Order: sequence, then C-alpha cells, then structure tokens
Amino acid sequence: MAYTHGTPEWEAAYVQKTKERMESQPKPYIYFMPEWVGAWENFLKADPIYKSVALPDWQGAVVLHVQKNPDFGVDQDIYVYLDLHKNECRSIRIVPSEYGKKGAYVITGSIERWMAVGKKQLDVVKGMMQGKLKLKGNLPAIVRAIKPAVRLVEAAAEVGGSMPDEWSPAQIETVRKTIKELAAEFNID
Amino acid sequence: MAHIELAPGIEDGGMATMIADIIKGNLEEKPKREKDFNALKGSIYMQAEDAEVDMTLIFNKGSLEVHNGMVGKPKISIVTDSGTLLDLANISVKFGLPYYFDATGRDVIAKLVTGKLKIKGLMSHPIKLTRFTKLMSVK
Repeated sequence: MAYTHGTPEWEAAYVQKTKERMESQPKPYIYFMPEWVGAWENFLKADPIYKSVALPDWQGAVVLHVQKNPDFGVDQDIYVYLDLHKNECRSIRIVPSEYGKKGAYVITGSIERWMAVGKKQLDVVKGMMQGKLKLKGNLPAIVRAIKPAVRLVEAAAEVGGSMPDEWSPAQIETVRKTIKELAAEFNID
Repeated sequence: MAHIELAPGIEDGGMATMIADIIKGNLEEKPKREKDFNALKGSIYMQAEDAEVDMTLIFNKGSLEVHNGMVGKPKISIVTDSGTLLDLANISVKFGLPYYFDATGRDVIAKLVTGKLKIKGLMSHPIKLTRFTKLMSVK
C-alpha cells in the first residue's frame, strides 16, 4: 500500500521504516538511505554546535536535492527535507520531489558533489561560489543563516556513512532496489 | 526599481549570481538602500581565492552589470576566501553605516589586519566602499 505524503499515516509509516532499517542495516549506513537520514536527524537534534549557531528566529525548511545517477543505483532525484524551526531540527525526511522543490531553501548537487562534501573535500560555501552546489531561495535570508546552514552539512559529514564510490556492484543494486521500494511505498517519485 | 543585469555566459548558481541575488534581495527587503545603489558609479572586483572564482560589478547610478572575471580596471577590489566574502555580507548596518564593533565586524577587521582580506581602494574610495558594504549587508 502506498502512503500519501502529508498524512499522519505516511509520517508514522516512514518513522517505523526508518527505525526498522536503523536496527537491521549494517553500519556505516549508506548515504541518503532512510537509516542514514535517521542517524543525521538524531545527530542534529542533539548537536550543541547547531543549537548554538542556529538563528533563534529561523523559519523555513532546507532541502538537499541529490541529483540522480544510475551508475550509483540512484535512478531518481532524492529530496532530503530538513524541517527546521528556530534553533531546533524537528525532523529530516526523504520526501516526494513535488514537495521537496517547494522547500524555502533548496541546495542542489550531483551525487559526486555531495560525496565530496561528505568527505570534506568540498567546502559548502566554496561549492556554492563555484556553482558546484546550487542554492535556490531567498539569498539574504540564507546568508544571514550561513553558519547554521554550513553546520547542517558539516554534521552530515560527521555522521559518516558509506559513500557511493565505495559500493560494490551488489550494493549498487541494493541501493537501486531500496529506492524503488521506498518510492513505491511512500510515493516518493 | 533597481536594474541588475547578468552578463551573458554567467552560469546560474555561482558566485556572480549569488552576489547579484544578495544585492537584489537586499534592495527588495530594504528599499532605503536604493539611495546607495542609485549613487554608486564605478567597478568593484571580487575574488574568492579558495574557490578560484572572480567577478566584476559595474555600477552606474541605478543600474548594475555583473560579470565573471575582471572587466576593465576596477578602482576597488576585494580579495579573500569564500567564507569571508559571506562574512562581509553579514556586517551590520547601524545609523546608516557599516558597524564593525560586533563579533562579525571585529572578525572582518582582524582579517583585514592579518591580510586574509585584501581590499584595494579602502583609503582612496571610502564612500563608494561604504555604499557597497551597505548594499551587500543582509543585516
């Protein structure tokens, strides 16, 4: 049964799926899979650095848009939606593209670019200046919040995880299958 | 309404479009700063050394052309790293002037003193630079 995004059933099923996968999947988790997103959420919720740099009046979701790359088993774009309120990270979810695109701030990059960020080979601000990561949204607002924005991404790197260039052909097929199943179950197109 | 034009060939999303979008957004949020925009005439060069990207802003009393790379011989140039460029955009404006006595301001001054931030035209074009700082400031 496919759940409809935005309903309590979708949310409950997503949380349950993440919990199950966090318990069943081996560590390090695979980047941008639900269990990794869940680990990032837990990390940020408890992160004193994020809480200290986040703006007390912040409103608006930040979305990480990962562009598809079938070579890594990622056959569709992935939108990771960070629900941020004041200095708190309320949740992080993989969401349907239609919803993700509507995020107040969307940072888009290829899977290789995000991998470079994860390995701390690409600084986020530098990446945006070079156009390797593209930012959509109200620029003055995100520049005011540049420190928390950078911390969000740094935290993703600190969570760690299995990078696409480390995946075996079998793991790539597992990623492909997982994304396909998620897409079907959670209407993530 | 401020007229801001990107030169042909500027790739969407890089430093040039970011800076242009910051100025555009600021003018929308803070219409009082249009006075500074309308008074500015001349070129300003900016370089993010770590990112190896540069750009030139050509102001002409109410209009702005944004170019990649260095165009002409700008009287003002700002050379630093990407992070510091965005710190410049976080300088507060108080009583109509950039304010250097809070944490961000002090950090910028420290970088200026240590050479991590290099500004040409600081002494020769202070009013132009002040107006530009106000246009860049998101505060």
